[in-house]
Amino acid sequence: MLLKCPKCGVKNYLDPYPFWNFKGKTKCAGCDVVYAVEIANGSSVRPPQPVSGTPKDPDLLLPGFADTPDNKPVTGDGKTRPAPRARADVYGKPKPIVRNSRGRLVAGRPLKPEELVGSRARYVAEGKEPK
Amino acid sequence: MAEPETLKGGRRGRPPWPATPPPTAEEVYGSLSEQAREYPKFLESIVHPDKAFNKPEALDRVRVLDCSTGMIIGHWASSMLAELGGEVIQVEPPGGDPLRRLTPFGRKEYMARDKQRGEPVGLHFLHEMRNKLAITLDLEKKEGRDILKKLAAHVDVIIENGTPGQWDKWGIGYRQLSKLNPRLVYCWVGQRGQWGPLKDKPGMRDPVAQCASGFVHGTGDPKEFGGRPTRSGMWVADHVGGTAAAMGIVAALLHRERTSGKGQFIEATAAEGIIRILDYNWVWHGMDGSIRPRYGNWDLAINIYAVNPCKDGYMMVGGGHDRLWYRIWKTVGDEVPQVEEEILADTNLRNISERLPHTRQVKTYTLLCEWLKDNTRAEAERKLVRQEVASGGVLAVHEVAEYPHFKYRRQVQEFDDQLYGKVLVASSPNLAEKIPARLKWIGRPVGHDNEEVYRRLLGFTRDDFDRLGERRVI
Amino acid sequence: MAAKRTRKRKPLTLPLPSGERRRGEGRRVGQGEGDFERYCRQTFNPAAVFGKPEVLKGYRVLSCTQYILGPSCAAYLGELGAEVIKIELPRRGEPMRHSTPGNEGFLYPLSRWVPQSGTGLGFFGANFNEYFISMDFHRPEARELIYKLAAKADIMVENYRPGTFDRWGIGYRQLREINPRLIYVWTGGFGGWGPGRVRASYDILGQAQGGAFSITGQPEEMGGSPSKHTIWLADYWGGMMGALHALSALYWRDTVSGQGTFLEYSQVHGVSRQLEYALPLYGRHGIIRERWGNWDTQLCVHGIIKCGKSSYPKSDNPQEQEEGYILISAYEDGDFARLTKAIGQEKMVRLYKSHDVRVRPESQREIYAALEAWAKDKTKEQVAQILDRARIITQPVWNAKEVASHPHWRDRGSIFWLDDPTYGDLLSQGPAYKMSDTPPRVKWALKPIGADNEFIYGKLCGLSAEELKRLEAEEII
Repeated sequence: MLLKCPKCGVKNYLDPYPFWNFKGKTKCAGCDVVYAVEIANGSSVRPPQPVSGTPKDPDLLLPGFADTPDNKPVTGDGKTRPAPRARADVYGKPKPIVRNSRGRLVAGRPLKPEELVGSRARYVAEGKEPK
Repeated sequence: MAEPETLKGGRRGRPPWPATPPPTAEEVYGSLSEQAREYPKFLESIVHPDKAFNKPEALDRVRVLDCSTGMIIGHWASSMLAELGGEVIQVEPPGGDPLRRLTPFGRKEYMARDKQRGEPVGLHFLHEMRNKLAITLDLEKKEGRDILKKLAAHVDVIIENGTPGQWDKWGIGYRQLSKLNPRLVYCWVGQRGQWGPLKDKPGMRDPVAQCASGFVHGTGDPKEFGGRPTRSGMWVADHVGGTAAAMGIVAALLHRERTSGKGQFIEATAAEGIIRILDYNWVWHGMDGSIRPRYGNWDLAINIYAVNPCKDGYMMVGGGHDRLWYRIWKTVGDEVPQVEEEILADTNLRNISERLPHTRQVKTYTLLCEWLKDNTRAEAERKLVRQEVASGGVLAVHEVAEYPHFKYRRQVQEFDDQLYGKVLVASSPNLAEKIPARLKWIGRPVGHDNEEVYRRLLGFTRDDFDRLGERRVI
Repeated sequence: MAAKRTRKRKPLTLPLPSGERRRGEGRRVGQGEGDFERYCRQTFNPAAVFGKPEVLKGYRVLSCTQYILGPSCAAYLGELGAEVIKIELPRRGEPMRHSTPGNEGFLYPLSRWVPQSGTGLGFFGANFNEYFISMDFHRPEARELIYKLAAKADIMVENYRPGTFDRWGIGYRQLREINPRLIYVWTGGFGGWGPGRVRASYDILGQAQGGAFSITGQPEEMGGSPSKHTIWLADYWGGMMGALHALSALYWRDTVSGQGTFLEYSQVHGVSRQLEYALPLYGRHGIIRERWGNWDTQLCVHGIIKCGKSSYPKSDNPQEQEEGYILISAYEDGDFARLTKAIGQEKMVRLYKSHDVRVRPESQREIYAALEAWAKDKTKEQVAQILDRARIITQPVWNAKEVASHPHWRDRGSIFWLDDPTYGDLLSQGPAYKMSDTPPRVKWALKPIGADNEFIYGKLCGLSAEELKRLEAEEII
């Protein structure tokens, strides 16, 4: 369910699996206002009401994601629920990888045209150190 | 396990389900134009399973001795071969394979009984006993092993799942049998392998392999969503490993006929079957140490491509590439225009790979559910399929059994077996113009084909049967 | 913080820091190496596979496929030595190249035309040992090229929507005229005939509509939902079924008939084939099989339980901080008695005397609850250690790192470092089965789009450099 905060305009995405049938409190990621929501089968039973409650309340189920009206993400600790992560440091963009986990060369970064021999990355073929 | 109680008031004769007959060809193609119906009709005319018995079989010159016991992987491998025409002889210990006694929640009334002896057999085992001959042979006894050596001369393939090295110690391993029959293809199946550091670790039934291969860790909702690692409802690693074993066996047969004239030793394990198909787990880990997290019913590598809740259950919508992406949002926008506007306005969602990070998946699916919540599976499917988007509901078992398309294609088939009566089964998916897989019988009771097989292959006389039967060798 | 390495306590059989195992380290479990194991090691030695012949040497496979189902079908044949020619759209390639977990890991370049974008990891594993050429199928010039290729091919794998290739003049009906020995494998979602033939399909749609989805996951009353098999099961396994049938067709063609044929594989159909007792049970009794979480419907104790403590609480990887899970299997009476003794619940033996009692749903709930309560303050390795001593079957739930670094899989070559000629040093999965004389093998993982255009078009279609250049400029190849 989409929870648009009337105060700050941030769109909070209450993602379907945890929030499909839900009765409790959540929080706007933009302005930390706590809302009481009641959702049954994905639809609001009654409109979200701002209620008293501290933003650090452990009962709060945070939204999965939130962004501003012009689609700038609002995320971070205590704002939205953490994402499932494959590593400690994440993410979301192609990550240049030059050496794999055992320290050998792997072609995990964009190449310049002059690095190509035919279709083959020259630095891999020649075992040369990429810059 | 205890002796089963008698089946009280069990249903005999015609089973009550499926409730409706398959649609007729007229219903399926009647409304189509001549041009639109031409290709499907052509396909149907060449691959329809009802015509399978007019066609040859790919493996009908192959005789397989399946000696695997208590493990579905071996039974699965041999039932794949049996469906493609192999003459599979299932060797069980006297008294039958322990899997015969398995039945959901111990409910004896769910077991099937044959018409001759009324012997109960679990439906799981029966489903994988198709097209096989059932004989008994006690390999724990020396006499039994001597008989096996004689049988080995008559067969092309042996499948076994003894503990690592057991058959070799008994003198009936690949090293010994290949001397007796150099053309023999010998396949060992198991969960984790007969050599290597884990070879002696016990555990023979799925989900041992599912846990050992990393499958379970990756399946189910992520911890952040309150989920835990989840096993497959089926013994899926056995199915994958069994199929791999069957593939290796056919490849070995092909090599034997074409090139070498000799058999070989094959090893297939359930865990390695799963490891092979765990897509990018290993390469991702090797590149930067990533450990693939669970991601519930969404997909780490494709967006939109997920199952989400809808009005009456769960609905799959998939459209990885741009063409389908915009068609999906157009369909959604017809009813909930603000959702489509929201998606189209977000520049982060324009590029196919930029939609993949978790936050954007949350946005996509939350907005999609704004539409799904007011649509049943059937409605959503109808609207999306009109736009050629791959979509469909999560079907429960009875919906699978009653689905017209499946019934029309004999995917779900009510099979009238000579011994077990009418059984609803899933037929083999391998349809073909010339060498289709087929179902000949659903199963056999313990030792049903002893007479036939031993007489035909080893020339046993009545005296032999009496002697060996008395000593419980067969 | 991220860069800081924490040294982990080494559990019983597990794991090594990612990287190579030291010599002899794999032999910590088990009773040492016997004569038979030595023989097996020698027979299946993954380092020796390249000294052995290949089954499908001299066979040629055309793979006009995308996503996973069709490509993996061809890849299994490629592992066995067939010359697999994968045909993709020029420039863009197939959609799977653009999919990677979390938009993070890519292998560069995508093609010689676009060195700046990469191939996603989703492409990995479904295209081993293939030659990559590019072609836009529906252009009339391309048709002639397909005819030339098909005339020299043994198998063609295709997974476009039913009838598409027929419309373009390169379907089974046209190609069998050119090459009657051709085995034409169509793999796809719902099949090309019947009321649902127009429907497209992906892997999870196959799982959802085939029935596997509804029987996997935690039960409703435990707050669970139907779950998908996280691997693209219906695709990868479906490809295996297709490859099995294609191999059988080759066997039949080359030993019996000399004829080609048409094979149709529907992945939804394949998934239904896996439902075990679900369909017969429904047909006989009208009972609908539902999901039963991490336990087994037919055996008890045979389920996965949660251990309260993480094995690597100090790891900086969130996947390792998670609590451990372990499979415990003790369904036979003797095993169950030892299990109850090991967890200090001897009275349970009297409560659940026989397997028939234990396997009932209400008993299962109580037994597993007792097991989880016992394991609450233990890691999965501690549970394994205690139960191994009691001779109970256990199998910890391993994550990708634990599996990838386990000496068992490394020894057996199931997971190995592949020195890919184009993309460098990659950790890869090995073939699903081992053969003594003609082992399947992985030679390279993938190549950029159109990497083998010169080689294949020159070799099989006789295109000159001039023609290649022209066709490339017109984006026909």
